[in-house]
Amino acid sequence: MIVGQQKPFDEIWSMVRDFKKVLVYGCNTCVAICHAGGGKEAEILASMLRMKAAQEGVDMQVDSAAIERHCEPEFFEPLDEKVRTYDLVLSPACGVGVNFLADRLAGAIPVYPGINTSFYGGVPEAGFFVELCGGCGNCILHLTGGICPIVRCSKSLMNGPCGGTNNGKCEVSDQTDCAWYLIVERMKKLGTLEKLLEVQPPRDWSTGTHGGPRRVSLEHIRAYEEKEEKNAATEGK
Amino acid sequence: MADVAEATERTPVSTIEKPQDIPAEWQPNVLAFACHYCAFAAADLAGVMRLSYPPNVKIIRLPCTGKLDHIHVLRAFERGIDGVFVAG
Repeated sequence: MIVGQQKPFDEIWSMVRDFKKVLVYGCNTCVAICHAGGGKEAEILASMLRMKAAQEGVDMQVDSAAIERHCEPEFFEPLDEKVRTYDLVLSPACGVGVNFLADRLAGAIPVYPGINTSFYGGVPEAGFFVELCGGCGNCILHLTGGICPIVRCSKSLMNGPCGGTNNGKCEVSDQTDCAWYLIVERMKKLGTLEKLLEVQPPRDWSTGTHGGPRRVSLEHIRAYEEKEEKNAATEGK
Repeated sequence: MADVAEATERTPVSTIEKPQDIPAEWQPNVLAFACHYCAFAAADLAGVMRLSYPPNVKIIRLPCTGKLDHIHVLRAFERGIDGVFVAG
């Protein structure tokens, strides 16, 4: 899931204070799980903004709403018209949601972010989130016992630990496990330690995040959708 | 179905209170959220025993205080409640 944290309230206030009619528009998927931007958090943020506006003597209407996902068009449809009646949408969805909605509104009204999108992570325990995938586009977890050295090793090393590994911890912080220590221990348990003897060549980063937005296109599904649309149009005639 | 939760009350600038000195006789408005099975039952018992409590405390009975959400407390403050008391 995507993990994010709500921006400091003062930063949010400085973004929204000049607007008269604001919608705090939450997303009930990932950011609801990390208590940053679901329907509940949107309601709370809207309430806090109303109270702040009252304290500061600013005449402002702040409402809240939430939909299940901010990254697919269908979910937006029921509220589309209503959303366009606002001066500003404050979106505590992830960065994907903010981009997606801003593209959808196409400059009609601004969409501002309510959270800082942090990483792709897991929830090992309630209230604790940890980054587990870097989205590098070229997965090698089968070589490393299911532990990602790209994102869990501070240096993204591919061939074992650096000299900074210290009793299972990383030199960057004693709160951070050494990913390569974890990998070796995991591979021992799996009985596949000898796989690590194979030297990994320099990595091809062309699948990474530095070449513009990446895309995945499922041609069979797109072809099917096109066919369905054509059929519907023919029947309509 | 998604819907917009519109603010039920809007505070126009003209009605916002200016900071002022607190009068000596001022009493805060306190809202108590009480669990049906314990705190509210205790309040009920207090009533049966003819014990009194200040009239500036208003009680809302909940099936369980686990039902209380952040927004209920915030709404109370938005509507001018000075303090919220949760008992359960």
